[in-house]
Amino acid sequence: MFVIVNGQTHSLTEPQTLGALLRLLSPAAPFAVARNREVVQRGAYEECRIEPGDTIDIIHPAAGG
Amino acid sequence: MEGRQSDDQLELYGRTFSSRLLLGTARYASPAVLADAIRAADPAMLTLSLRRQVLGSSHSGESFWDLVKETGGTILPNTAGCCTASEAVSTACMARELFQTDLIKLEVIGDETNLQPDPYGLVEAAAELVRRGFQVLPYCTEDWVLCRRLMDAGCEVLMPWAAPIGTGQGPRNPRGLRELRERAPKVRLIVDAGIGLPSHACEVMEWGFDGVLVNTAVSCALDAVKMAAAFANGVRAGRAAFLAGPMIPRDAGVPSTPEIGRPFASASLRLSMDHGTDTSSFH
Repeated sequence: MFVIVNGQTHSLTEPQTLGALLRLLSPAAPFAVARNREVVQRGAYEECRIEPGDTIDIIHPAAGG
Repeated sequence: MEGRQSDDQLELYGRTFSSRLLLGTARYASPAVLADAIRAADPAMLTLSLRRQVLGSSHSGESFWDLVKETGGTILPNTAGCCTASEAVSTACMARELFQTDLIKLEVIGDETNLQPDPYGLVEAAAELVRRGFQVLPYCTEDWVLCRRLMDAGCEVLMPWAAPIGTGQGPRNPRGLRELRERAPKVRLIVDAGIGLPSHACEVMEWGFDGVLVNTAVSCALDAVKMAAAFANGVRAGRAAFLAGPMIPRDAGVPSTPEIGRPFASASLRLSMDHGTDTSSFH
């Protein structure tokens, strides 16, 4: 199945949880994640099932004014 | 930074700060310059944004975050770049998850040319974020009705612009800003965008504004660290002048030196007559 992660299409071999996807991608800490524009709490990554076509945003701190 | 003891402290959403300068973290020449500028400015808060992580990149932002954390400063995340209330609310929720703070500098931009806030989207987003328990600091204009709507939505702090973001023009509508200060004496007002010089910061502080947020004026100066210190001094001077109670300007000149006992009074009178300013003695 395909999901969109930070605007890029990713192919996943099987349905999986957000926790599994994050282990695969290894984003640098600190980060926060949204699935289909809804924030996923840190403690809920393993329960969050990713569906085909989901949009995942992984964000981190950046400079700002 | 937060919690330091002083006689005159800035209070925002129950947090107290000895500094009245807020500093943006963008567009510095290097992380080292940013770190030095933060030390020189000694700001109440540091503004940050959040962006998509480039996965697998060495430029993950870790070092930037480590630098900011080391300062111990209070983080004020922003919703920069958002153009709708929905985007801004989603971004604020992400910021809360990332930075573990309820504080949010709310930006909803309505015009790409001058980066003016969208008043309709701003009020909508502010109301929703307050409902969700955020402590909202909206970037707004000096428009009184907009500010009133934001206060009605539950904002205890407003951030009116001096001029469009990044222009450095200084206060474009001094009268409007001063009227806002007079009509909203209890709400905390931080002048946000468009400040270009320490004198601009000093001026708005003299008018009774509670604080100033600067970024580009510091980061794009030839010497950002010296400029950060200059802004800190400007804000302190303006605040001190406001507390001291400035004199009321007069139309006519008034001698500051006492007249009584002035020597050579007759010579001075003749000089005055020669210039035709004293007509009473001609006849």
